[in-house]
Amino acid sequence: MFEDILKSIFSAGTFNQMLRSATPVALAALGGAMTEHAGIMNIGMDGMILMGAFFGVLGSYLFGSAAAGVALVLAMGIVVGLFFALFVVKFKSDEFIIGTALNTFALGLTSFLSRSIFGASGTKGNPALPTVHIPGLDAIPFLGQVLNDNSLFIYLTWLLVLVMWLFVYKTPYGFWLRASGEKPETLRTAGIAPEKMKWLASILCGLLCGLAGAHLSLGQLQGTFAEDMANSRGYIAFACVIFSKANPAVAYGAALMFGFFDAIGLRLQDYISSDLTNTIPYIITIIMMVYVVVRSQRRKRHAGKRLPARQT
Amino acid sequence: MDEIAVRFSHVSMAFPGVLANDDVTLDIKKGEVFALVGENGAGKSTLMNVLYGINTPTDGKVYISGREVTDFNPKTAISMGVGMVHQHFMLVPSFTVAQNIVLSREPRRGRVFFDNAAAERMTRQLVEEYGLEVDPSVPVEELSVGLQQRVEILKTLFRGAETLILDEPTAVLTPQETDELFAVIRRVVRERNMTVIIITHKLYEVLAISDRVGVMRKGQLVGVRNTADVDEQTLASMMVGRPVLYDQLEKTGTPGEEMIRVEDLTVRDNRGLVAVDGLNLGVRAGEVLGIAAIEGNGQSELIEAITGMRRPESGRITICGRDATGLSPGDIRALGLAHVPEDRLATGVSRDATVTENLLTGKQRQKQFNRFGFHQRTSTIERYARELYEKFDIRGAGTDVTAGDLSGGNMQKVVIAREFSFDCPVLIIAQPTRGVDVGAIEFIHSQIIDRRNHGCAILLCSADLDEVFRLSDRIITLYEGRITGEFSGGFSKDEIGLCMTGSRREKEAVS
Amino acid sequence: MRKRINWGYLGSLAISVLLAFAIGAVILLAAGFNPLEAYAAMINGAFSNARHIGDFLEYAMVLCLTGLACVLGSRVGIFNVGGEGQLLLGAVVGCQVGVWLAGQSSWIVIPAAALAAMAVGGLYALIPGWLKVKVKVNEVITTIMLNTIAASLCQYLAKGPWKNPNKNMVAATAQLDPRYWFKTLIPGSGLSTAIIAAVVITLLTWYVMQKTSTGYEMKLTGQNPRFAFFSGIKTDKIVIVCMVLSGAMCGLVGMFRVYGVEHLYRSSISNQYYFEGLTVAMIAQYNPVTVIFLSFFFAVLKIGAQGMELSAGVPNQIYLIIQTVIIFFMAAESGIFSSIRAGAQRKKARADIRRKESESHV
Repeated sequence: MFEDILKSIFSAGTFNQMLRSATPVALAALGGAMTEHAGIMNIGMDGMILMGAFFGVLGSYLFGSAAAGVALVLAMGIVVGLFFALFVVKFKSDEFIIGTALNTFALGLTSFLSRSIFGASGTKGNPALPTVHIPGLDAIPFLGQVLNDNSLFIYLTWLLVLVMWLFVYKTPYGFWLRASGEKPETLRTAGIAPEKMKWLASILCGLLCGLAGAHLSLGQLQGTFAEDMANSRGYIAFACVIFSKANPAVAYGAALMFGFFDAIGLRLQDYISSDLTNTIPYIITIIMMVYVVVRSQRRKRHAGKRLPARQT
Repeated sequence: MDEIAVRFSHVSMAFPGVLANDDVTLDIKKGEVFALVGENGAGKSTLMNVLYGINTPTDGKVYISGREVTDFNPKTAISMGVGMVHQHFMLVPSFTVAQNIVLSREPRRGRVFFDNAAAERMTRQLVEEYGLEVDPSVPVEELSVGLQQRVEILKTLFRGAETLILDEPTAVLTPQETDELFAVIRRVVRERNMTVIIITHKLYEVLAISDRVGVMRKGQLVGVRNTADVDEQTLASMMVGRPVLYDQLEKTGTPGEEMIRVEDLTVRDNRGLVAVDGLNLGVRAGEVLGIAAIEGNGQSELIEAITGMRRPESGRITICGRDATGLSPGDIRALGLAHVPEDRLATGVSRDATVTENLLTGKQRQKQFNRFGFHQRTSTIERYARELYEKFDIRGAGTDVTAGDLSGGNMQKVVIAREFSFDCPVLIIAQPTRGVDVGAIEFIHSQIIDRRNHGCAILLCSADLDEVFRLSDRIITLYEGRITGEFSGGFSKDEIGLCMTGSRREKEAVS
Repeated sequence: MRKRINWGYLGSLAISVLLAFAIGAVILLAAGFNPLEAYAAMINGAFSNARHIGDFLEYAMVLCLTGLACVLGSRVGIFNVGGEGQLLLGAVVGCQVGVWLAGQSSWIVIPAAALAAMAVGGLYALIPGWLKVKVKVNEVITTIMLNTIAASLCQYLAKGPWKNPNKNMVAATAQLDPRYWFKTLIPGSGLSTAIIAAVVITLLTWYVMQKTSTGYEMKLTGQNPRFAFFSGIKTDKIVIVCMVLSGAMCGLVGMFRVYGVEHLYRSSISNQYYFEGLTVAMIAQYNPVTVIFLSFFFAVLKIGAQGMELSAGVPNQIYLIIQTVIIFFMAAESGIFSSIRAGAQRKKARADIRRKESESHV
């Protein structure tokens, strides 16, 4: 039996599932990386994802195409990003309060609209995002199964990780973004308003979290919306951001790790109650948060040791 | 030669409640080193922030190279050839030297990408051109303070500055670094015909580096002189306005038992570096031991360790004969210690609590202030607070307003009132009069001496040397976490100054 | 020390509430409902009969206790976002204690269940509290994660080891013996004698926070922890104790829900109730007295919204929208107000200089 478990854990199916579970978290984490670099503690990502999930399905339902759904999500992402920045950047409100309120607001708004439009049971089977088949990839035995025939956004995410990484570390705007969070007055005395970069980061975060939600409803669940379907993914994404120090590539890696544990949980369902295996990614998140802090503390202590007492 | 680089014409700058610059008119010539001196809060930095476009003046005009400034923001100032090195460096710690220097005008590759190689090349070029040695590819956070300042100067040069403002550039520098900085200033002025404006309150530096000097007091420019025509005495009396004549403080009594004893104390700072290095000292009842040191030489960490705010690395601290090493502030206070902290806003008060609450803090568990050990006796507390409020001459809108509504001086009086009223045998006092107006200083000083005459053992630390001289019975100098000198009786300012800068090394432990 | 009524706060609250209802009306219109009818149905839903009034009082109790639990944490500077998990665990454990002790006198069972619920909630809050104080891990994320974990854990217990012997009852624990049930005060409603205990706890919490030396030390710790530590207060201990008490209070609310309303554990014990309490605490700006009053207001809204859903077919989540929009407006109002004030001060300063100049010219 133990062998069976191991076999099912390290199957292509597990790794494919890892990819699927990781993608919405990864997309949101990319957005969270932007606000984190801009020095904003963004715990409102869960709400942003939920709005993305809803408006994706709504667009798809209204216009009969997933593309229209995504277009609506992008518009919504910009609006939500602007809204978030208005409070956090312009009014300098407490990020924690605004983030929490945004999450509750999103839950209320999407549930209200969903019930008003689709009725109490929600909606299913709206036009969904296509899966992508890459010819020839199947020839590679294990990888082919893992990487091929996935929903469009899984591949889009790879592209976005690269783009966001280049943006943050290889373009002047990325430098300004990081300066706006790390030391805003530096940017101000250089003649660039740090607030501008914070607004930009909020909008990008709204867009990317929106895409995360769209992938959830239009990709993963094939055009379905269910109430509270973000299911704390925004918070997991936040943990990924902290863990990765907002490096998009590392954040994607962290998201994959969650995906992996989530997939293992699903595999173990035959042996252990799914209610217990469901907790694994969340426990991992807590362990990660602790690890991040302990790591930085140890590093500091280490730095102290490296520099000996001054010699006079 | 007498071309005008910068002209201020009737410039006034008002902040809520303060007139920081009051009708300042001043010409600064091209190619000169102009020193701007004045006490803390005299308005020097505000005036320079106007020039750099951070402040928009409430009134008046500013001309740079003959052109009037219409739009006050740093970008305009930079484009008009003004560069500023702030007291707190404007550098992004995680960026490299080159990345910091080119920030906001990055070289690009293919329009959108940052060209790091070009940035480093440009930096290296600049380094060679001005002879300011620094490695372009190192993250700024790994550089010493002196080198960081050099990066700041390079940054302004990169941006094409012809006029360079240096805001208290030597406050954080070692003497060697100061010498190097001055050499750099002389070079850019001589070779590039640059104009340098240096803000400082160290008068010997003014004499050492500047061509002309302007003195500010309470927002007004009280005079401009050729440096060659003045000496420290003249400048000092211009700064203060009148010869400083404090009332003589009457010190009585003889020192008694040793109340504070520190042995082989080593403390690390927030970065994990050794800040206090195997230090020994003792303070006896009825005496004031003053610490003279340039900021950042371990005095803050020493005080934090003694009062329990920071855990010492090794060594032993004894308060009133009992071991206090590594105890919490609460336990140390219970041994008989009160503490006026150096940063009143962060540590000394709760701005959101009322004056009454701030005065009560620390005594809330005393029997007289609560019934059955938990129910607060509101009216007793209010009466007590009003008594202290009057006794310590706190001026504000009463005891019911929040402490944050008080002025700095009155907030400090709240701290002093609270800590002095513990009636403790040991007092640790840091920066008792920082940002406090003259009248209040006088009052606070007399209170300190009053405690001393009542047999209190006082450890005093202040950035204001005159204050240390005036109040102390003995003075020790700290340099890089070690005691470099001990003085009692007649203090010689020169000698103490030398010890503070580490010029005279390592005197053995004071007892 | 003397408490004065903060008219500025009340004014902005009133304006925010009105604007939030206006926004709510716009959303209702957009979704094809008549806002006036909906709001009328809402008021009707809360007050039309004794049962609704009982439900609204019961919900006000939940909001008040969870809100105060949140205040207990934020007073000392720690945000307990994990009350939902603490509440669920308190409910399931409190319930199971009653099942295990079946046959004993209710004088034994109810205190035992209450203590167990408080212990579980408190211990569950101890994890993030300890991590925050000793390891400096951000408590917001850990508590949210612990919420999800607790929900799954309770689900597991209700489906597995502690499941209801009746096969038709899925995901529910065994039912309590009726003699342990709290007495219902208004027949048909959720209002039970638990409200008496709730009133006592509320008064006690208010008293400790506002009138005692301990409450005073809590406040200082939250306002400026460095200053509190400097003045001799054991801030680490106070933060952990408050977090544990906050968790214990949430656990107790769970137990109240079981013994007063549901009589067994299932997920309808709480539907994100703690988050609604948290929202109330935020709107009240963590003032315990304001929390008490606002709990009634939002309980009316919530129960009214549920009635409205039944009578007018409007989804009750409009309630959540209105509640959060109030927060946004209050946040915006303070932001706008402070920028206006800064502008006015600048203008005044400029005028002062002009006046001074003209005087000196004369």
